[in-house]
Amino acid sequence: MDAFLINGPSIFASADAMSAKEPSIWGLGAYIAFVLVILLVLMSYAKKGLSVRVFKNPVTSLFEQLYLFIENMCVSSIGQHGRKYIPMMMVFWLMIFVGNIVALLFPFAPTADLSFNLGMALIAVCYVQYEGVRANGLLGHLKHFTGPKLSGAMVAISGLIFTIEIISELMKNVSLSLRLYGNIHGGHLAVEAMNQLGNKIYVPLGVLVLLLIKLLTCLVQALIFTMLTCVYLSLVTHHSEDHAEEGHTATAH
Amino acid sequence: MSNSQKSSGAPPALLYVAGLVLMVGGTYASLNLKIEAIEKLNEQGLPLDLGKTVAVIGVFLILFPAIKSFFLNPLTEAIETRNHQLEDTFSEAENLRAEMHKLRTDYEARLAETEAEARFQIQNQIKEAQNLRQQLMTEAAERADALVRQAQMEIEQEKTQAIATIRTHVVDLTLAAAEKVIGENMDTDKNRRLIAEFMDTVEVAS
Amino acid sequence: MGTGLGLGVGIAALGVGIGLGLIGNGALQGMARQPEAIGKLQTAMLIALAFVELVFLLTVFVAPFLIK
Repeated sequence: MDAFLINGPSIFASADAMSAKEPSIWGLGAYIAFVLVILLVLMSYAKKGLSVRVFKNPVTSLFEQLYLFIENMCVSSIGQHGRKYIPMMMVFWLMIFVGNIVALLFPFAPTADLSFNLGMALIAVCYVQYEGVRANGLLGHLKHFTGPKLSGAMVAISGLIFTIEIISELMKNVSLSLRLYGNIHGGHLAVEAMNQLGNKIYVPLGVLVLLLIKLLTCLVQALIFTMLTCVYLSLVTHHSEDHAEEGHTATAH
Repeated sequence: MSNSQKSSGAPPALLYVAGLVLMVGGTYASLNLKIEAIEKLNEQGLPLDLGKTVAVIGVFLILFPAIKSFFLNPLTEAIETRNHQLEDTFSEAENLRAEMHKLRTDYEARLAETEAEARFQIQNQIKEAQNLRQQLMTEAAERADALVRQAQMEIEQEKTQAIATIRTHVVDLTLAAAEKVIGENMDTDKNRRLIAEFMDTVEVAS
Repeated sequence: MGTGLGLGVGIAALGVGIGLGLIGNGALQGMARQPEAIGKLQTAMLIALAFVELVFLLTVFVAPFLIK
């Protein structure tokens, strides 16, 4: 215990301790399968309640609330054409949230794995780039990176801005994945540390004190991941919004 | 609406295949490949494994279309049909309300019309009655006038007749009285004339 | 090594704590002044919180590289 206090949580411990904690790909696969089974059970239970006109099934109504919430988020941050991103956001939200809940109760969880989070962040950012290219064309999308229009010798500055923008796009991956990993894994470490504090009086202090905060973190992290993806999407597809809006109203009337 | 619901151009089958390939490849890479830089990261406390990342991307590529077709599409459909139903119910209620409103205005208009007609008829009747009364009154007055005039005429007639009768009677009486007073030998015609003249003067005096 | 890391993380936590407090302060003031804008403010606040939090996480994960 003294060693723990001096060396701090295991994030700063030696590599052997880390590798002992981090499961192999089979362990990660098992946890992902576990999360998927939870989701599958919930969904197939909720699917039964869909046939009723008013959703009496509590799980179904929860899913409906989630759907409305995410729809609201997409529409308010992206605009009317943000409606088509709802399924993707739903999948992200559900995976992250259920993963976080698993992280609350189990020593490991998919979202507590940096590789898993990096995979999700890569999907999100690559999809954002894909949508940007689809909305503005390849050249338009690249021009989006160069910032405001400059002339003459200022082109060099455009190049600089381009480089910085590319780096910031790459950092989006890092920020999305590292935030989730840091929060969930850090939550684990904090619980462990507090448990060790309570070891002397045989009370799992960390579990008792941090459970509610961790629950809040679960919700907020799922929210932030999807919301940031929405914001990135809105930044990229913003220019085409007017056209889409016009087209939508034109078809509506 | 249904067109914009499609999230990406890639068909689900392609996503499934790509996901499977990525999963298998990622697993293989995670088990067999070791990259120097990543190993260094791992030593520093960042447990990154790109093989796992690739496998996770594969899992998600499979997951998106699967969950979408398994759950999200039915959910969206159910919510939308419910919203449509609600909208239909609302519009129906709105229609019914409009219809009711129209009926009420119709009814009120008809009521006002009937009332106006009744009032008009009552006024007509009153006017007619007044006319009739006026007519009756003038007629009655005329008739009374006529009666009074006839009566006056008759009275006048009677009066003259009575005066004439009285005159002859007075003449006869006077004559009889004079006969008795003066006697037999008297020129009756001359006397009679004298008396008549006298009577005239008397009459004038009276 | 442990002491230096602890100190660095402590300083990072200090700065991030101040930053989070400022964000919360601003958001609460805005919400109190304009209760009808709570939804938008919450979104913006959460995004800002996420970015400030990231600074701390970056510190935590980058610090071991710098101390050798």
